[in-house]
Amino acid sequence: MTAEVLAPLEPTPAQPSRKRRGPLSPLARYMLVRVALIIPMLWVLVTMVFLLMRVIGDPVTAAQGGRLNAEQIAERKHAAGLDRPMLTQYWEYITGLLHGDFGTTLTDHREISGILTHYGAATLELSFWALLVAFAVGIPLGRLAARYRDRLPDVVLRLFAILIYAAPVFFVGLLLKLAFTPFGWPSSGRSSTQTELTLDNVHPHTNIMIVDALLWGDPKIILEVLQYALLPAVALGLLTGGVFLRLVRINLLQTLRMDYVTAARARGVSERRVVRKHAFRNALVPVVTVMGMQIALLLAGAVLTETTFEWKGIGYELTQYLKARDFLAVQGIVTAIAVIVCVASLLIDAIVALVDPRVRF
Amino acid sequence: MPTRRLSLSKAVPAVVRQSHGLQRFMLLLGFAIIAAFLIIAIFAPWIAPYGFNDDRSGGVLFGTQQAPSADHWFGTTVGGTDVLSRVVYGTRTAIEVIILAVVLSSLVGVPLGLLSGFLGGWLDRVLVLVMDALYAFPSLLLAIVVSIVLTGGSSGAVGGILAAAISITVVFVPQYYRVIRSATLAVKVEPYVDSARVVGVRTPRILGRHIFSNVAQNLPVIGTLNASEAILTLAGLGFLGFGIEPSAAAEWGFDLNKALPDASNGIWWTSVFPGTAIVLIVLGVTLVGESLNDILNPLLRTRGADTTSADEAEITHEFEELTGDIEPSVEVRNEAANAEKRVAALALTDLAVTFRTDAGQIHAVNGISFDVAPGEVVAVVGESGSGKSVSSRAVLGLLPSTAAVTGSARLGDRELLGMSNNDIRPIRGDQVSMVFQEPSTALNPVYTVGWQIIEGIQAHKDVSKKDARKRAIELLELVGMPDPEHRVDYYPHQLSGGQKQRVVIAMAIACDPDVIIADEPTTALDVTVQAAILELLLSLRDRLGTAIVLITHNMGVVADMADRVVVMYRGNIVEQAPAGELFAEPKHPYTRALLDAVPHLGRENGPGLVDENDLVLKVEDLVVEFPGGLGQPAFRAVDHVTLEIRKGEVLGLVGESGSGKSTVGRTTVGLQQPTSGTIHVSGNTISGLSDRQLRPFRSRFGFVFQDPASSLNPRMSIGQCVAEPLHVQTDLKQSEIDAKVRSLLDSVELGGSYVERFPHELSGGQRQRVSLARALALDPDLLIADEPTSALDVSVQARVLELFTELQQRLQFACLFISHDLAVVDTLANRVAVMQHGKLVEIGPRDQVLGNPQEDYTKRLIAAVPVPDPDEQRRRREARGHLLTDIS
Repeated sequence: MTAEVLAPLEPTPAQPSRKRRGPLSPLARYMLVRVALIIPMLWVLVTMVFLLMRVIGDPVTAAQGGRLNAEQIAERKHAAGLDRPMLTQYWEYITGLLHGDFGTTLTDHREISGILTHYGAATLELSFWALLVAFAVGIPLGRLAARYRDRLPDVVLRLFAILIYAAPVFFVGLLLKLAFTPFGWPSSGRSSTQTELTLDNVHPHTNIMIVDALLWGDPKIILEVLQYALLPAVALGLLTGGVFLRLVRINLLQTLRMDYVTAARARGVSERRVVRKHAFRNALVPVVTVMGMQIALLLAGAVLTETTFEWKGIGYELTQYLKARDFLAVQGIVTAIAVIVCVASLLIDAIVALVDPRVRF
Repeated sequence: MPTRRLSLSKAVPAVVRQSHGLQRFMLLLGFAIIAAFLIIAIFAPWIAPYGFNDDRSGGVLFGTQQAPSADHWFGTTVGGTDVLSRVVYGTRTAIEVIILAVVLSSLVGVPLGLLSGFLGGWLDRVLVLVMDALYAFPSLLLAIVVSIVLTGGSSGAVGGILAAAISITVVFVPQYYRVIRSATLAVKVEPYVDSARVVGVRTPRILGRHIFSNVAQNLPVIGTLNASEAILTLAGLGFLGFGIEPSAAAEWGFDLNKALPDASNGIWWTSVFPGTAIVLIVLGVTLVGESLNDILNPLLRTRGADTTSADEAEITHEFEELTGDIEPSVEVRNEAANAEKRVAALALTDLAVTFRTDAGQIHAVNGISFDVAPGEVVAVVGESGSGKSVSSRAVLGLLPSTAAVTGSARLGDRELLGMSNNDIRPIRGDQVSMVFQEPSTALNPVYTVGWQIIEGIQAHKDVSKKDARKRAIELLELVGMPDPEHRVDYYPHQLSGGQKQRVVIAMAIACDPDVIIADEPTTALDVTVQAAILELLLSLRDRLGTAIVLITHNMGVVADMADRVVVMYRGNIVEQAPAGELFAEPKHPYTRALLDAVPHLGRENGPGLVDENDLVLKVEDLVVEFPGGLGQPAFRAVDHVTLEIRKGEVLGLVGESGSGKSTVGRTTVGLQQPTSGTIHVSGNTISGLSDRQLRPFRSRFGFVFQDPASSLNPRMSIGQCVAEPLHVQTDLKQSEIDAKVRSLLDSVELGGSYVERFPHELSGGQRQRVSLARALALDPDLLIADEPTSALDVSVQARVLELFTELQQRLQFACLFISHDLAVVDTLANRVAVMQHGKLVEIGPRDQVLGNPQEDYTKRLIAAVPVPDPDEQRRRREARGHLLTDIS
């Protein structure tokens, strides 16, 4: 939750209408500019991660210090190319990234890009379920709260939103575990070991449980996968859903005061349509904008949720490598997360442009 | 009563006072929770039964995972320590980290945001990039990485708490930075900052007195958000095992991590208690933050701004001076009542509207009656707070739910008041439709104009989309929209202001309504566009026989359009009569005074030319360009303008919006650098000088800005505002400054008691008088007045103009008077200059330019101004023919 989330966002200022120039549509031009703007941002992020990881000192000592003697450390450093000048390493790192090469871990010598695709799929699945919960909770309840402003449903819903914001996602997870384990509901891992072994035989293997299960086609397995996903999805989804609820409410209240809403009423448009077509759609513009920022929150929440429910995703892996002080692995994973955040914000911009023509033209 | 918010200690009760009901409850509950946690944190050693790391008492082990009992109210942990003690000591850790983190991040983020927003340039760009990058990053991961960097692993209590606080700080600096930067960007273009720059206030003082003091109101809200995020981040760090060394301090997140395996075994007390502590403290902080945000967010308030009442008081004061003892509720003449029974399209009887607000009941309309016949234009005129708009919206049930409406509004033989939403909906837009004041807000920006017209048609008629679209194009053609087949698919922001208003009118006539209520339909438009829109409304009336209720404050528009006039004052009708009679023989003193106050283009006895005095301002071949966006050419706002003003002379600079007239004014006082050309003030070249070089010359000129609401710094008293130029530019002692401020305020007819007041306690007219006093504080040679009266009501405007003329005569300063209102310029300018598209079209003596214009544009401009006299206006309208119809 940030100040921007609560403070009403100004509608994007209208840009002066411009004549079409060149073969590109205005939307394509806009997106090109956005892509061009994201590149320096990515560069800053990647460089920041690289520098932070070098500030700690030399990664080999950090990871293996105490266990190896000086000679062995020097040897390991040489093997990993860490004894070369910083700029050379930086150049290699950047060029590697451009080829999709995120490097190799120090402790267990795995390709980081392999870790990203395998565990990233699990995190993607968790985020998908969580977003589903967030939308299902946030948007209808936000509309309800706005409709009954300052009356009982609004009061209850606002308190609910504040409460789930105030509760750390792992505490909500713990409470869910406490409540559901007595009934034998699965509350850790992504599926039973047996199912996991079964699904390993699926081709192509996506490591997105529900996709694998659907490809396998056994209804019992599908049901089991859904059961396992429920608690983590609710824990993480409520976190984001609470934010959506408050955003939808506050923006809806504001757009309902706009002149064009009164104008629509004045031309005899029915109240339902006024709310649905005029107030709600306009209220969505700032909501979608802030959703872009929520991606970062969701990913941070995913790290905590994955630890709580032993959901072996990228966040779970990251904490393991952090604990092992394997900073090459951390560097690769953190960089990937930064890239994902940037790309997601780009997507969000595209959605905003679709909803709000002022951005497009 | 308005409260002065000066210090934090005063701010808190003020905020509580501003709140009400549920909001106040939430705010107080939040404060109470925070207070309770603070007490627990401070007195932790006395409250906790054991030490946070003790696993035995008197040599006896507590035992691990013991359920709550008399010895251990909250049970014991897997490590065999007392849960209650850990929760209590954990409070201490949490509070320490919150305070450190909030203080550190505001200390770093606020100055960075201020400087970045204020200075701009490459520093701003680099900072924005870095902060955006930090902000985009998942905050918890960043905090983990930073904490590892700082500690190289876990560390002791003091170091651990500091490290945690710093990690959280790094995460939150971007939030402070972003909020403060955008607030700074908004504040720095406020006229009161410009007016400080005009008198030569130095940058540090501007940043401190003018910008920071106004930006600071955002801090409580970000601070509370920061605090709650800090707790959650700290707990997250602990939960993942990257927080404070567990033996050094108790920390809730760490305890939850240890409790993780317990959850699957039904051991609830190890997790529920620390978790609840986190929830409660975040809840407390969030409740405070959320309520503050709700209370301070003007968009969500249900009450009027403080200033409205001051403005209304001012108008009341003028009214009482004009009318003596006459009760406003007494209608002196009502022709409609005497006339034979007419068939009214819409008839209001005893309509009254009351609003419930936070400040109590407000009677907006006190029982008014008037009607409008088919094909008739009835103008409802009045100043701010007269209730003219409210009454028209009440007719269609468009007022917010806080309004209570009584009386009767009959449409033909149907009563509109008291109808349910479902019953009145088919009438809206079909039989009675509305035209709004501000076309750019009355159109929904995310739909095409065609879509919105079609929506209105389909709300009433069962026609196919295709037919509705055809009708929409016809309507656009009817209202004179060029190229309607294409424009129907345009979004509102692609159209000009006049075109948007045409769309709004097209919507209003889509279903051939019996009555159109036009609420200030041309107030937001330029005068030539206004003339075209009024022309359009009249032609529609003639063609369709619609009854029109025209709400306006502009007497010229009334004279131009109305068959009958209803004059309103503070929710009452004081007079209604046919237009000709009302203008010829106003019966009510208020009407008379109102008409007297309206400047009448062509009938004013403005001043003639002044003697060949010394030149004060000389502008030579001035060009001002603003850089275009990516790949866009630069925009030339001022294009080779040359003019001069002599001592004691007023040059009226007129033009429509975007003509570049304000840019000329801003450039002459160094608020804007010219692209080329020179500016001399009293013989000194001031163009091309840096701020520092310009400072000694600042005392030569004063500036009065348009918007009275923002031309004075809301955080400074009137006395401080007027004294600022004296502090900056002179070596006077405080007592001399005080004396001078008093005499200046006296000269603008604001007695001694105003010195201590704050701008929001003053009305618009009073504030413009303060601005005038401030501008004249240093006895300038040159005064730039940029639309000083256009935001004021007519009677208030008359008073300010009178004062201005008198001071100008006495002090003999040269004045560049910028205005869009030709009639106002006609009252006070010696010479007049006309601008269009950045170019000077015509310049010369007042009589000549306004009386016998040579250029086509000047002719059109003058022809477009409606004068407050129906007979004369009719002649002018006929004379101008179609000179104006195709503009907008």
